[in-house]
Amino acid sequence: MFGDTIALTNRFLKKWIRNPAAMMPGLFMAVFWLALFGSSFNPVNLVPAQIGGSALSPVLVEQIRAAITSVFGGAANYITFLTAGVISFVVIINAAYGGIDLVLDRQLGYLNSLLSAPISRASIFFSGVMQNFVKAMFIALLTFIVGFLLPNGLQVGTGFGALNFIGIFVAFGLLTFGFGCFFTALAYSAKQVDSLVAIVNFLAFPLVFMSSAIFPLGNFPSWLKGIAEINPITKACETARLLIVNGNLSAGQLSTFAGNMLYLAVFAVVLAAIGYLIARRALKPE
Amino acid sequence: MKTDIIEAVNLTKIYKNTVKAVDHISFSVEEGELFGFIGPNGAGKTSTIKMLTTLASATEGVASVAGYDVSKNPGEVRKNIGIVPQELTADDELKGIENLLLSAKLHHVPNDEARRKAKELFELLELEGAAQRQVRTYSGGMRRRLQLAMGLIHDPKILFLDEPTLGLDIQTRQNMWTYIRDLNRKKGITVFMTTHYLEEADSLCDRIAIIDGGVIKLSGSPSGLKAKLGGTILTLQLTGTADISTLLKEVDDVTDVNKEGETYKIKLTRTETALPNIVEIVNKKGLKISDITLAKPTLDQVFLQITGNTMRDGAASGDSYGQRVLIERMK
Repeated sequence: MFGDTIALTNRFLKKWIRNPAAMMPGLFMAVFWLALFGSSFNPVNLVPAQIGGSALSPVLVEQIRAAITSVFGGAANYITFLTAGVISFVVIINAAYGGIDLVLDRQLGYLNSLLSAPISRASIFFSGVMQNFVKAMFIALLTFIVGFLLPNGLQVGTGFGALNFIGIFVAFGLLTFGFGCFFTALAYSAKQVDSLVAIVNFLAFPLVFMSSAIFPLGNFPSWLKGIAEINPITKACETARLLIVNGNLSAGQLSTFAGNMLYLAVFAVVLAAIGYLIARRALKPE
Repeated sequence: MKTDIIEAVNLTKIYKNTVKAVDHISFSVEEGELFGFIGPNGAGKTSTIKMLTTLASATEGVASVAGYDVSKNPGEVRKNIGIVPQELTADDELKGIENLLLSAKLHHVPNDEARRKAKELFELLELEGAAQRQVRTYSGGMRRRLQLAMGLIHDPKILFLDEPTLGLDIQTRQNMWTYIRDLNRKKGITVFMTTHYLEEADSLCDRIAIIDGGVIKLSGSPSGLKAKLGGTILTLQLTGTADISTLLKEVDDVTDVNKEGETYKIKLTRTETALPNIVEIVNKKGLKISDITLAKPTLDQVFLQITGNTMRDGAASGDSYGQRVLIERMK
């Protein structure tokens, strides 16, 4: 099964590499969010120097700014906060829309040639997941680099090193894998591209907005906060921010990190199982 | 004695409990045979091939392929078959050789053997020069040949061809016939093909089954089925008023005479003995022959007799086309 999955994944990746334009929308989305949205908004700049003609005490201004920074998880600027959110956004969108290729495979008859070959249905399903995963993680890496390259962009905490970087990408890897399994199963169940796009639009955007991807949870209404707190996108973003902002983690932060990773691992395994069961049903003989 | 390598008993396919695409058909194909399934679009050919290749489950009935029950042992069936589908499924963005080696990998052919077989198939199908080109640059005929190669890379016992020459020009179609005939005769591969080109079935198949409305109407060798029609048909257009139908019916080796206006359609069992006598009668009655044609029976005529439609009518008829559209929607 492993060899079949690799062979089928390679097919998707060869097509992707030969068509670099295909990765541009994902990259542009990341650049636009970070460079345009992220640069134009910095919450600490909302604190006025004076109110009603009276200057605020610089100490007070600094205290308010520190409080706001704390709400944003200690991020030095909004791009530092937003980078994790944009990575989660691009990986979700990539995993969701990556299914279009799979629907086209069904429509063009390619899927039938796989279903009539002596390979397991699991290898067909997981090749769909893995191609999405590799593409999404590549775009995630580019997004991270874009964050660094922007003027007044991503600022990492003292002690940030390779382990922090690996931790960030393992967290997003688990998130991508879990959602990749879910959206791949939906793609194999869809008969038309239009129906897949409708479902994806209905699910992907609310999933991102019901998380701390763009704004911190502090100001969420209580009903939304409850959902956002258990949203795996929030867990991945919070984990990434913990590693970006703090560099060296304290014992308490390490414990939060471990808890979030466990949560994301369980999420990935459960979604893989659910996704496979849905896909197996969709790949049954007519 | 040859054994049956494909066997179907009461095979039935009903989509979503409403559309009956295949209705209790039974047939068998001998090992090494080139068997044709003939019928218009929507007749049930593709649904049958899908059941035999494990892509669709039978609503009723059983089928075995290469000795394995298709519903109980689909994995074993898949190991023993090659499929060339109706759609052009080779990946446009991959090179010809990449498509072929991927097919080999999915059939678990060892790498060295796959490369050797790929070279051999590219030569056989005259695609050597195109192996390193992306499939998007291939013509329709080249794509069909590549698909044929993809169906053969793992040396299947049975090759399923679903409308293998659909959309090809006459010359490319005849080349494909040569490849298919060679594969069957020289390599001994059993071929199960569907087609709605009657001349294709006539030229290639050892045996055919005519399917219409999901039911097998008739089966046998093309020559046997044509012989059942009763031999050659002589069409005579005469100038003159005398009716010579009765006289013509009395001629030896004439089995039937139909007159429409000045045109006589005369069915003959032996042309060489009947024709001089017919010409003599015409001359004696002072009639003149303005046109004469001699037609050997074709599968088209067999099809017409069996289904009441020509294949062209059938392909375009609302019933068959509507059935196909309905099945696609049901899926």
